[in-house]
Amino acid sequence: MSHSPIRAYLRPNGSWGLRNHVLVLPLHSALSSSARAIEDACPGAVAITHDWSGEVDGDLQRIIRILAGFASNPNNFATIFLSLGSANEEEIIAQAENLGLANVVHLSLPHIGSTKLLIDVGIREASDLLVRAHEQIRIEAPWSAIVLGLECGGSDALSGITANPALGVASDRLVELGAMSVLGETTEILGAEHLLAARAITQDIGQRIIETVARYEKSINYEGIDLRGAQPSRGNIEGGLSTLEEKSLGAAKKAGNAQLSGVLEYAEIPPARGLYFMDTPGHDIEQLTGYAAGHINIVVFTTGRGTPTGSAIMPVIKVATNSPMAMKLSDLIDLDAGSIADGMETLAEVGTRIFDEIIRIANGCETKAEISGNHEFALSRMYKTIVSYDA
Amino acid sequence: MRKILILHVNDNVAVALTDISQGELISQDEYLFTAKDNIARGHKLATRNISINEGIIKYGERMGHATSEIRTGEHVHVHNVLGDRLSSEVK
Amino acid sequence: MTSNGFDHGKRGIGVRNHQLILPSVVCSTHISRRIASAVGALSFSHQHGCGIIGADVAGIEDFFGALANHPNVSSCLIVSLGCETIQGQELGARLASANVSTKYQIIQDSGGVEATVSAGILAARHLQESYPPVKAAFGNITVGIDLCRESAQIAELIAGLSEVGVETIVARQGKSSAENFSQLMLAKAHVILSFPSPDQPASGFPLIPVINVASESSLHQGIVADFDLAHESTIEATISRIMEVADAQATIAEMNGTGEILAPRLVRST
Repeated sequence: MSHSPIRAYLRPNGSWGLRNHVLVLPLHSALSSSARAIEDACPGAVAITHDWSGEVDGDLQRIIRILAGFASNPNNFATIFLSLGSANEEEIIAQAENLGLANVVHLSLPHIGSTKLLIDVGIREASDLLVRAHEQIRIEAPWSAIVLGLECGGSDALSGITANPALGVASDRLVELGAMSVLGETTEILGAEHLLAARAITQDIGQRIIETVARYEKSINYEGIDLRGAQPSRGNIEGGLSTLEEKSLGAAKKAGNAQLSGVLEYAEIPPARGLYFMDTPGHDIEQLTGYAAGHINIVVFTTGRGTPTGSAIMPVIKVATNSPMAMKLSDLIDLDAGSIADGMETLAEVGTRIFDEIIRIANGCETKAEISGNHEFALSRMYKTIVSYDA
Repeated sequence: MRKILILHVNDNVAVALTDISQGELISQDEYLFTAKDNIARGHKLATRNISINEGIIKYGERMGHATSEIRTGEHVHVHNVLGDRLSSEVK
Repeated sequence: MTSNGFDHGKRGIGVRNHQLILPSVVCSTHISRRIASAVGALSFSHQHGCGIIGADVAGIEDFFGALANHPNVSSCLIVSLGCETIQGQELGARLASANVSTKYQIIQDSGGVEATVSAGILAARHLQESYPPVKAAFGNITVGIDLCRESAQIAELIAGLSEVGVETIVARQGKSSAENFSQLMLAKAHVILSFPSPDQPASGFPLIPVINVASESSLHQGIVADFDLAHESTIEATISRIMEVADAQATIAEMNGTGEILAPRLVRST
């Protein structure tokens, strides 16, 4: 195995961080603006906001798992939890610690007494943690320090020809070297699952990916809804994609030709080296949340239409499928794979450029999304958030 | 510069690598035909006649079926193609 | 009756003069927030606008439309990515035809993040200059009441408000205050009086001042400073607080910047 050029932060549980964030995580939607206020006052700290108000419904365990996984991602040096002190919030913090989060600050609103004071205390805690985070240093790390997430969004008909197969080249090489790589978006492998199943290391795993897609298809059919309109999206159709299957055949190219080592539930952490599939929605931001909660520490996102998307805690490298868009939206695209369609570069050449970029970014260089500070967040839910539209 | 890309030998569609105008002659490798529609870059055109309900093959895989007769050189898109799965209008 | 209202044309008369920077999709929430903070406007995060199916497509589009046309809004800039399910351009065109003080900005057509932020700032300032605040006296205001817990005084309160010419709408079916706030926004409430569940904190809504009333619960008593009204507040004190807030006094949620929205969602994400 070749010597790894990766330098990363070693966490107490043996996992590797490619970033060293101080995260402010509200455990109730009413605490979201406090988290934002702390982020705004402490350059270097990052916060997310969400719309969960502690509802106890069919999504409860999913949301607990998402927030605990997000908080304990190895890219976080520390997480400041803002809570109301409820039992479910305590459960999230306990799970995050079990998943390896070493530095925990728990600020409970009723304990502190008011939102105004909570923000003041949060700013002080975040500033202290930022000082401690700066004392951490990167050290030599093995290839397994890279846990790569594969994503595409705003796809066009060139996605499956340029950026996605080039990313597949980079993913295959990393998997070969001992890293982990994760494909997601169940919606976007529908119609291509048989190709992935054929590459599974065991028949059981192959069967599981078929069942995962069938489970999804059944749940949509159960709703009695025509998926078209969302998939392919209107942007996809303008870009030349005609059917969901066509989009999927192109999307699956991101996973290259490596063998499939396993199928993960949403937000599940991949257990060992290899290529995995995670059952996530196609919604870009909900997918990113599942990846972060599954301890993926770096993402490559291919896009035909262009998007500013970033994550609070994972570097997201944006690869354009076509050169005109890459030029037009240059401050949100990190790398252009459009040259493949123009016959200027081969898949292997662009694959190598993506591979090199992953290492450069893993070692601390910033992505375009990190430079612009773009980070969005979305919880993935399986159940409704409202009683009805005519309540 | 190549105008179209064929991804697999079994495919019955090609991807336009450039904007193609109606009436434009496509002469590349063993293909020789005229574009029947304006076709934007990234969109598909038929490389042979496709009959109604016949599979549309791209990447060597079935990506849906024709909802009308499609002639060589025609634009292949949502107006004449439907996915096989999760498309309720097919029922 | 209050005299500190703002004439917002077809939107009606508002108790606040908020410019709204409305992200039509989660992908444009961060850029919207940057534009809003540069021009002193208001924006909020959400996770919607894409990957939605069925009833939610129209449901969320109507919800965003109602936000943009709320009486407390002076003007609205919609920021769209360009390829989302809810096309910002169409939403923008539809809302602009209903209300001239609405514009839209599309990231994929604007040349990237910084170009969208600069163009958005210019557009927002232009809207502010074109639609300066116009003071207006109120005929009557509408108070939305979020009843996530029962209040013994509610009938008496509604009667008292009616006597001073205030209309009331009650929302009590929601799973949470956030859901009730959304319903009250759709009904164009100018001010919200919230009675949160004993185990829920005081909360806010971006466009509408929310007056929080404490209960005797240990949570509420632990954070009394977050509540505008103590649990034993009299009808008179409550009505007078509503009038002060309608007359431009900030609520505690407004001062703290607390205000999240819960966009409706009936169908699982895809």
